[in-house]
Amino acid sequence: MIVDPGASVSRRRLLSMIGVAAGSTAMYQAMHSLGFAAESSFREAGPLSAAPKGASVLVLGAGMAGLVAAYELRNAGYQVQILEYNARAGGRNWTLRGGDRYTELGGETQDCRFDPGLYINPGPWRLPYHHRGMLSYCKQLGVALEPFVQVNHNAYLHSRNAFDGKPQRLRTVKADYQGHVAELLSKATRSHALDADVTAEDREILLDSLRMWGALDENYRFVKGNASSERRGYDRDPGGGLSGRPAFSDPVTLSDLLHSGLWSVLPFGDAYDFQTTMFQPVGGMGKVGEAFGRELGHLIRYNAKIVEIHQDDKGVAATFEDLAAGSVGQTLRADWCVCTIPLSILGQIPMNVGGPMAQAIAAVLYCTGLKVGLQFKRRFWEQDEQIYGGVTYTDLPIGQISYPSSRYFASDKGVLLGAYIWDQINSMDFTAMPPAERVAKAVEYGSQIHPQYAQEFESGISVAWHRVPFTLGCFGLWTDATRAQHYDNLCAFDGRIVLAGEHASYLPAWQEGAVTSALDAIGRLHQRALAAGAGG
Amino acid sequence: MSEPTRSLRLRYRTLVCGLGLAGMACIGAPALADSAGILNPAPFNTTDGQQVYEHICRGCHMPDARGAIGAGHYPALAKNPALASRQFMAQAILMGRRNMPAFGAKHAVGYGGPPAVLSETQIAAVINYVRSHFDNHYKDRITAAEVAALDRNGY
Repeated sequence: MIVDPGASVSRRRLLSMIGVAAGSTAMYQAMHSLGFAAESSFREAGPLSAAPKGASVLVLGAGMAGLVAAYELRNAGYQVQILEYNARAGGRNWTLRGGDRYTELGGETQDCRFDPGLYINPGPWRLPYHHRGMLSYCKQLGVALEPFVQVNHNAYLHSRNAFDGKPQRLRTVKADYQGHVAELLSKATRSHALDADVTAEDREILLDSLRMWGALDENYRFVKGNASSERRGYDRDPGGGLSGRPAFSDPVTLSDLLHSGLWSVLPFGDAYDFQTTMFQPVGGMGKVGEAFGRELGHLIRYNAKIVEIHQDDKGVAATFEDLAAGSVGQTLRADWCVCTIPLSILGQIPMNVGGPMAQAIAAVLYCTGLKVGLQFKRRFWEQDEQIYGGVTYTDLPIGQISYPSSRYFASDKGVLLGAYIWDQINSMDFTAMPPAERVAKAVEYGSQIHPQYAQEFESGISVAWHRVPFTLGCFGLWTDATRAQHYDNLCAFDGRIVLAGEHASYLPAWQEGAVTSALDAIGRLHQRALAAGAGG
Repeated sequence: MSEPTRSLRLRYRTLVCGLGLAGMACIGAPALADSAGILNPAPFNTTDGQQVYEHICRGCHMPDARGAIGAGHYPALAKNPALASRQFMAQAILMGRRNMPAFGAKHAVGYGGPPAVLSETQIAAVINYVRSHFDNHYKDRITAAEVAALDRNGY
């Protein structure tokens, strides 16, 4: 913190000036610099100065981008109306709980039969510590957060073709990989193969560090013993008394490890977006959208299917069907429009924008993706295998199994993320199956890792994102080429319309992409509205 | 995977893609919302048009090929007059179309793993299947060579 607490008024003024002069992204960054964004005073500050009197904004879509845009515009004094296709707020910010009913495209309906307190997040499910926009809104709206376990050294890495198909603990793969690499590197160092790159003095330091990093013995070997078992675990853990003598475990060979391919998963937890600490809302990610929905109340009109968007030099009109009432052809009008409708759908809605934006909308393909949630009678992964949260990675079509990060020890039952499929062929194949078959396949494949599945499975539910009626896909799939050609045109104002959402960000699929895109868009909208004066 | 070299190469590509470290066959976004697993997808080798439809196309175009309607829609392939042009169909499959993924090797985009690519033979097979089922009765057929030529020369 570079400013003392007594200076908060001038800080707010400063931020407000930055917001007006440079747009809300600059202001958002300035808030971070001032150590402000994560504080409770985030809301007091607000990203926008006061709205011109009478200025109005139509927000299309009540997902994270639309909700953030509407919330901040309303707080600044804009007259805001939101149109939303679903009967709830949140969009892809969504949690399925016991009693929920979900009908996918094609008409298949699933009833979620999970026990009270158990849930699955079909969409986003975790928040990196540096996604400060999301964390700030959770705090402002009173959404309780708890740690999300991403990296679990006791979860499995599994390949059908390695180690006879037997799942390996992450900690053994990591320890053995590091140990063998450290041994090879120290061998090269000691045989003077690296002398051209390493000075004599640095050589000794490098060797010390390799011994420490790789858990090598005093002779720079990675072998069965105390040092290696301290990383990879023991055959028999150290204990007390006469029965407490530990039994060391055997590292696997370098060749077996390399051929297993399991090393390919090791860096995942080191990626910026997956580093510790991650968070999740208590009770499901959908708590965020639900809280925004309560906060914005009657400003949101639900069950509204947009059929046309039309702008002229005075404002923007959206025509919609009221799906609940069965009526068609109603129109809402405002000075400006923040449109957050996924491009997969927006591309099908008549909207009079120019060629650059229209071409950008058409250029973005949508990712396939699929999740299956499975409820089990008991938490065998904890009780039998001591796996508390985290992710098992497998080359089976299910891709991953993730264990719940909450209610450890507390309840008898639990829900696993039983499939999380990105691989395009597999996710299309699973999408093409009836929902019950997806669940059955997830149980069948998962039982190759956890044989308890067969005995303990109770019920499941699946969400295939290309069958989701409100997105028709998972998220915008940019390539370097499409981004270079179309991204700026997608984000730029076209007349009185600006787009926002994860598709208008460099954080595809992350909610923080939606949040920062909304703040960026409304910052630019605000500048225009101020320039246009009262009434837009 | 019977051939170890290939499976290792696939796994390596998965690692690189999963972390967004390089473009290769995947998107070059600086941040990915997820990392894939140890992808080692079983090869999708069928050249049977019905099999291709049921494993790939059916997800969106539906079992009866009547499409679906939500906030947006998937077009029906049943009784669809646009299918009169087999070349149009080939182009849509090769290059993608809005939220429809591209399946041609030159255009397909993966995410955290290899993209879904269909061969010219598979594309021809599924076009011929769809155009002769679901109340479609087109007599002309497309060949793999014709699909390859369209891919080479454009439509």
